[in-house]
Amino acid sequence: MTDRRRINGPVGATIPPVFEDTLTQELKAVKKRSRPPNAIRKMYLKTGVTPSASGSAYLEIETTGKPGVSGLKLSCSVHGPRSLPRSSPFSPHMVLSTHVKYAPFATNKRRGYLRDPIERDLGTHLEAALRGAIIADRWPKSGVDIIISIVEGDQDRETSKFQGDEMWDMMNALSGCITVASAALADAGIDCVDTVAGGVAALVQESGDDSTSPNIVVDPIPSEHDKILAACCVAYLPTRDEITNLWFKGDLPASEMELYTKMVEKGIQASRHANRVLIECLTETIG
Amino acid sequence: MATSTAARAAPPSLALPGQLLGPASKYQPGPGTHVHESHLYSSLLGTVHVTQPAKAPGPAKRLTKITPAPAPAELPTISVVRTAPGKHREVLPEVGNIVLCRVIRITPRQAVVAILVCGDTVLDAEWQGLIRVQDVRATEKDRVKIYESFRPGDIVRAEVISLGDQANYYLSTARNELGVILATSESGNTMYPVSWKEFRDPETGLEELRKVAKPF
Repeated sequence: MTDRRRINGPVGATIPPVFEDTLTQELKAVKKRSRPPNAIRKMYLKTGVTPSASGSAYLEIETTGKPGVSGLKLSCSVHGPRSLPRSSPFSPHMVLSTHVKYAPFATNKRRGYLRDPIERDLGTHLEAALRGAIIADRWPKSGVDIIISIVEGDQDRETSKFQGDEMWDMMNALSGCITVASAALADAGIDCVDTVAGGVAALVQESGDDSTSPNIVVDPIPSEHDKILAACCVAYLPTRDEITNLWFKGDLPASEMELYTKMVEKGIQASRHANRVLIECLTETIG
Repeated sequence: MATSTAARAAPPSLALPGQLLGPASKYQPGPGTHVHESHLYSSLLGTVHVTQPAKAPGPAKRLTKITPAPAPAELPTISVVRTAPGKHREVLPEVGNIVLCRVIRITPRQAVVAILVCGDTVLDAEWQGLIRVQDVRATEKDRVKIYESFRPGDIVRAEVISLGDQANYYLSTARNELGVILATSESGNTMYPVSWKEFRDPETGLEELRKVAKPF
């Protein structure tokens, strides 16, 4: 990460200090999920925000009621179809390239300007999710660039000291990326078999009730749960009833197949909710 | 049940990607649609258009003539078109399209062109094309010389004959109405065509060789 051309900010956490006062004491006490376990957060989606791109979309997922917890803000632009560079080999179908980039200020820990492995990972999963939805052979010899910038990364300011949180944040970021990219592709007029949307389900354990078994929630916010055991992100085509990408993380006993299926089902449910917003947004633009 | 009601219902006026438009037995798929399990679905966001097939010519005049069994009735074509203001769909050159292009450079074996217009649409992206020496004209192919057919800067009407290699579309001008439509002389004046292989400069009166497109 030696980027000499820019003046980089300091490496490491640059969050403002949070002092213990009566307000934060109170806030810590209400660290609980305020939504029912099968409800996702409200989201705002709008297409056609970048005039210079062939297609674009902006997605915002609301913050929780608690101050200090940021929401998810994504901006996606689609460029193309355009001719491939001369060095690339002949391709009878469209070549997708996806770039996901966190803004340097999007997360608690400041990000560099170069792509890190997490962003590469998100890009690969996003490409897999979209490839199943696009009719690529309608566009021979052409390439499409899908660029997503994560403006705000859905992180709690106060939990920067806990390591490993980031791995769960990636799930929410990916599901948002899939939904916003799908809207931008429709805006760009690229042939798709269906509108793909992302959804996240997680297996959570609350510390208060150790005796009870862990339960599954959709659209988890890591700061609202004591422990997340596993999470899965699903990219789902509702009219086809097909999954184009599935990503599991965490520890699950291999013997409990039912748990896996249940989590995927919940992920699909979350994806269907996101898809309703997507449909509504797209209908508005042509109606 | 859902499909049977959709089969009877008229197609929707607006469509989203993945929306059911009707059975494949009732419509032909047009641009912006795709077929899945013998049903037609939209693949674009936009308005739905149904175009009736062109009327078949009336009954055969000579009834004594032996004709093949009548072809099945033409189905109306259903298509989805994006109609957002300030937006137009990207177009790719396809095999069989007539394109307008500008000659970039010439070699003894080929002319490299930039495709500017495809059909009636001006292209946003820059696509490169290639007119090989054997595709310049239909007759006397072995006597064709590229420098007697094209010069850099000429505007050429050509037909796409192949998607070509990774970089170039292959184009052909081997028809009367295809070839150079706008040429400038060595002294920089716009010339007018005088024959199928000559342009004349209106000021100097000099003639230059080109593969001339038939003007009318």
